Amino acid sequence: MNLTAQDEIAVYVEGVRLALAGLPPATRDELLEDLPEHLAEVLAEGGGSLTDRLGPPEAYAAELSASAGFATAGQPTSRYAAVTGRAARHRARISQTVQRADVRVGPILGYAKASEFLVLLRPAWWVLRGYLAAMAIAFMFDGNSRLGLMPRLGGDDFAAVLLLALGILGSIWLGRRGTPARKWPRRALRLATVYLVFFALIGFFEVDSAAQRDGYNEVGYSGWNEFTGVRDVYVYDGDGRLISGVQLYDQDGNPIRLGEPYCDDPTSGMSVPSRTLGYPHCPEAAPYHPGDPSAVTPPTPDTSTPSAPATSPNASAPAASSADSPSKPPAPAGGAQTPAAKDPVDSAKPSVPARVG
Amino acid sequence: MLRVDPTQLLKGVLDLAVLAVLRDEDGYGYDILRRLRAAGLEDVGDASVYGTLRRLFNNGLLNSYVVPSDEGPHRKYYALNAAGRTELQRSGKVWSGFASIMDDLLRERGKA
Repeated sequence: MNLTAQDEIAVYVEGVRLALAGLPPATRDELLEDLPEHLAEVLAEGGGSLTDRLGPPEAYAAELSASAGFATAGQPTSRYAAVTGRAARHRARISQTVQRADVRVGPILGYAKASEFLVLLRPAWWVLRGYLAAMAIAFMFDGNSRLGLMPRLGGDDFAAVLLLALGILGSIWLGRRGTPARKWPRRALRLATVYLVFFALIGFFEVDSAAQRDGYNEVGYSGWNEFTGVRDVYVYDGDGRLISGVQLYDQDGNPIRLGEPYCDDPTSGMSVPSRTLGYPHCPEAAPYHPGDPSAVTPPTPDTSTPSAPATSPNASAPAASSADSPSKPPAPAGGAQTPAAKDPVDSAKPSVPARVG
Repeated sequence: MLRVDPTQLLKGVLDLAVLAVLRDEDGYGYDILRRLRAAGLEDVGDASVYGTLRRLFNNGLLNSYVVPSDEGPHRKYYALNAAGRTELQRSGKVWSGFASIMDDLLRERGKA
């Protein structure tokens, strides 16, 4: 007898069993007792499949139970019974396919059946399951739900290791106890396993794509530095005059690009492309304007201390001069040496050669 | 349309037929089925015979024993016990009486 005959018998028996679902289990088992033997005889005679020879399993079940004196119970009376019967046949067919694959793949792995090899991997699965369970728990209870490689709860390393250890030990313990005997624990375990497998598939892809993305982002988006927020560059010469058309290069001759060549239109507030070459992109937005002392804050003229104008080497004027007129720009140089407006910018020169903004 | 449905008739006498083929020799399910068919009951259903065997066994008319087989599955043999033989005789008489009545009836009508 070959495997396919066995499978066909198993499928048919399963169909009959399902059709007899209305009977008490003991009665049903009794009726099914001789069935495999009978079906084997029928197949041994040849002449078609079991369904060809005996009709559908439901009909067989009905006839069997009726002649055995269990008249009504045998028929698939409800739609539910018909559906479960069909489901049972599908299940039997699937298990048949799986069994065949099992035998076929086995030799590739060096075993009679692939399942023999998979059974050896069971403890490894327990460890993996524990890890996945720890990750799933951390993912569910941690507010910062970005998946990493450790089951972090609130970013605590110790808690992560503890959770991981508990998860793995628990899973191994569960695995060593074997499949639960009762129905609901068994179902819960299966459901949890399915959940973990889905979680693992989604999680692995997520973590992997995040890792790929991070490598890429390092180049263009390295986070905050002192040039973050620089939109334009203004260069002033030694006399405080704004220089336009400036090109910036680094030590290797590579152009330094800062900001973006767009300007805000002061009236409309819209961003329009800059029309100038080089820096500044937007000369009209310069923070300082020559001849506009009020724009230059550091050495404000209305300071009351004499040290502010003291940058001029010829600061021989007494402090009284500033006390005279606090609101007016003082003439710190004493004489009519230079225009007063130039002085503050001049004094700022060593520390702020090019103001960026 | 036939007023006498062989299938319906068979239902009424299948118990007796099964008991009869086991009178001289024990048999397993498929063997009994073959004997019935060989005797002329070609339309007898597989499931009906197996179900009947199970019911006769449950009613205490048959004994059963398993014979291990080197090739193929073990076979469950059925044998008539004392109650089975008694039942065969009783039911056999009922059938014979019934059959002869029917025979007479048909013959008389045929003559008339």
